[in-house]
Amino acid sequence: MAEREEGFGISTASPSTALPVATEVASDGGYTAGPVLVATDVVVSYGGVHAVDRVSISVARGEIVGVIGPNGAGKSSFLGALGGQVKRSGGDISLLGKDISSMLPHQRARLGLARTFQTTSEFAKMTVFENLITSGEGNAGASLKEVVLHPRKTAQRERAMTDRAWEILQRFEMEHTVNLYGRELSGGQRRLVEIMRCLMRDPAVLLLDEPMVGVAPHLTGKLIEDLRAIRRDGLGIVIVEHALEVVRQLCDRVVVMAFGKVIAQGSFEEVVQDASVQAAYLS
Amino acid sequence: MSVWVFYISTLVIYFGVDLLAGIALNLQFGYAGVVNFGFIVFQAAGAYMAAVVVLGPSGGVASFQQYIFGSRLPFPLDLVAAAVAGAVVSLVIGLFSLRRMRRDYQAAVLLIVSLIALQVVSADVPLFNGSNGLTGVTWPLGQIVGVTATGAPVIYAAWTLAIAAIVFAAVYWLSKSPWGRSLRAMRDHEDAASAMGLNITSLRLQVFVIGGAIAGLSGGLLVEYIGAWSPGAWGYAETFVIFTAIFVGGVGNYRGVIVGVLLVPVIFLELPRFLPAVGYPGLIDSLQWVTIGLAWMLCLLFRPRGILPEKRMEVTKPAGVPGPAVVPSEGGA
Ligand SMILES: Nc1ncnc2c1ncn2[C@@H]1O[C@H](COP(=O)(O)OP(=O)(O)OP(=O)(O)O)[C@@H](O)[C@H]1O
Ligand SMILES: [Mg+2]
Repeated sequence: MAEREEGFGISTASPSTALPVATEVASDGGYTAGPVLVATDVVVSYGGVHAVDRVSISVARGEIVGVIGPNGAGKSSFLGALGGQVKRSGGDISLLGKDISSMLPHQRARLGLARTFQTTSEFAKMTVFENLITSGEGNAGASLKEVVLHPRKTAQRERAMTDRAWEILQRFEMEHTVNLYGRELSGGQRRLVEIMRCLMRDPAVLLLDEPMVGVAPHLTGKLIEDLRAIRRDGLGIVIVEHALEVVRQLCDRVVVMAFGKVIAQGSFEEVVQDASVQAAYLS
Repeated sequence: MSVWVFYISTLVIYFGVDLLAGIALNLQFGYAGVVNFGFIVFQAAGAYMAAVVVLGPSGGVASFQQYIFGSRLPFPLDLVAAAVAGAVVSLVIGLFSLRRMRRDYQAAVLLIVSLIALQVVSADVPLFNGSNGLTGVTWPLGQIVGVTATGAPVIYAAWTLAIAAIVFAAVYWLSKSPWGRSLRAMRDHEDAASAMGLNITSLRLQVFVIGGAIAGLSGGLLVEYIGAWSPGAWGYAETFVIFTAIFVGGVGNYRGVIVGVLLVPVIFLELPRFLPAVGYPGLIDSLQWVTIGLAWMLCLLFRPRGILPEKRMEVTKPAGVPGPAVVPSEGGA
């Protein structure tokens, strides 16, 4: 097990200068390389079939790890096991050094885990604005005690979240959608709302399941920039993505899954040249 | 006192009681997405509790009615007991029926609970006098000022409306708070809501208990007016009357709840009484249920979101908001 972790640690990340991201990380250099998220031998099985079979991953502070692989490889199931939405039948997961393996999704979220879903999960009968501030307030907003006994603090928090929501909306050119219901948005707009919702929360780890699907090209570029920008705060990101160009531009390290197993990992250049990856995925 | 004053007052009292029920159900269903098909059980719990703490000690098997918890509590403890009964029964039922289970299963479990509760209370005579029910319930507050509920129906109607108004204001305020927003988030997407730190099980239990307390209170108000309570008063169909009311009025809109409660239980269910007695005996009574079904169908056809749909929260950009931040974090926090 120790072996495995060593193998997946950030220290093995290739210092390839071909990646613009890698140079950025090097020039920032302000953060320590301690992992924010470590998953060891995670197993997910649906009725006996292993959709995720002993997958391990370690994400360092400020690192962006890409997970790629063919359809049905188990990528979303793996993210679900990390987030707590999917039942894990084996393995350990720790977030910021705490064992979260048997925690419920909301407990993991409170420790700093945020995620988006492959099928967009906007709140359909709430406006974009409400989607954002609900996320920003999180469990404090959901606390009846807080709302009833501390109305001033509640109002303050609401104001702070309002300001923040407007900033993020402006950043993503979504101000005109502020009063639209989730169900009134286009597919790409729904994705953006999900991502903006995560950004409202200052997470320590961000799990993204195909965040770029349906997002306009110029916004994809922006999103890449934003993800790079926020990772400077020490955020760790795991991103599942089919668009290899995005993966190339964004990820420090790539994990390739097929049939529930990790078949290769390393820098983007390394994995695309890997023979087994070529066979299983890139063909 | 003319018959009309009595009749109108009674309608107003029913309106107040049903409004309380509608508020509770709208909080649970309209805001939190909890499909409480056992709603009437919690109203019944409040009604029974208010009855037994007003009736005085039970005479036991020898008496013409027997019940548990017999006592004579002064106002306002009678209504407090009713609300607490609704809340406690909700907590107990909620603890096992609201666990991580799909919503439609929850609804089915709650419907079954309401059927079981009805059978148990009907059969277990020492509990609340079985299917004969309890009678002779008086109005403790009225006794203080020297009136009876049916003797001064106008006063009772005003009293009921006052309580309904207070509860309405409180629940409205809560629903518009961040807590109410969290409920709607949970209703719209449970996984996403919990992925942002909301404890779904706890939120669901909270609305269940708050709604149960309001339901219990409404039961207490009702029984202190009509003076009697028996299994005949709380069939599962009563739950659907309230559901129809909030559905017709507009789920998730409290003004819609007022309209729905005026239309469905008060007008639709009361109006057929004025029809001439045609056909076989009981035809008019059955027509009431036909009107409930019609209300659902008309609503689905013409106003699927109800007469007053859930209101959109419109915001405009405040002047003082700074320009685009390069890093969209830490801003304004
Ligand atoms: N809820 C479920 N019940 C049963 N099997 C499931 C379930 N969800 C996923 N699977 C199976 O698990 C395997 C992995 O699915 P998963 O969604 O994790 O793949 P993925 O890598 O995300 O694929 P894609 O790129 O198409 O999104 C698939 O074979 C799928 O059929
Ligand atoms: Mg997937």
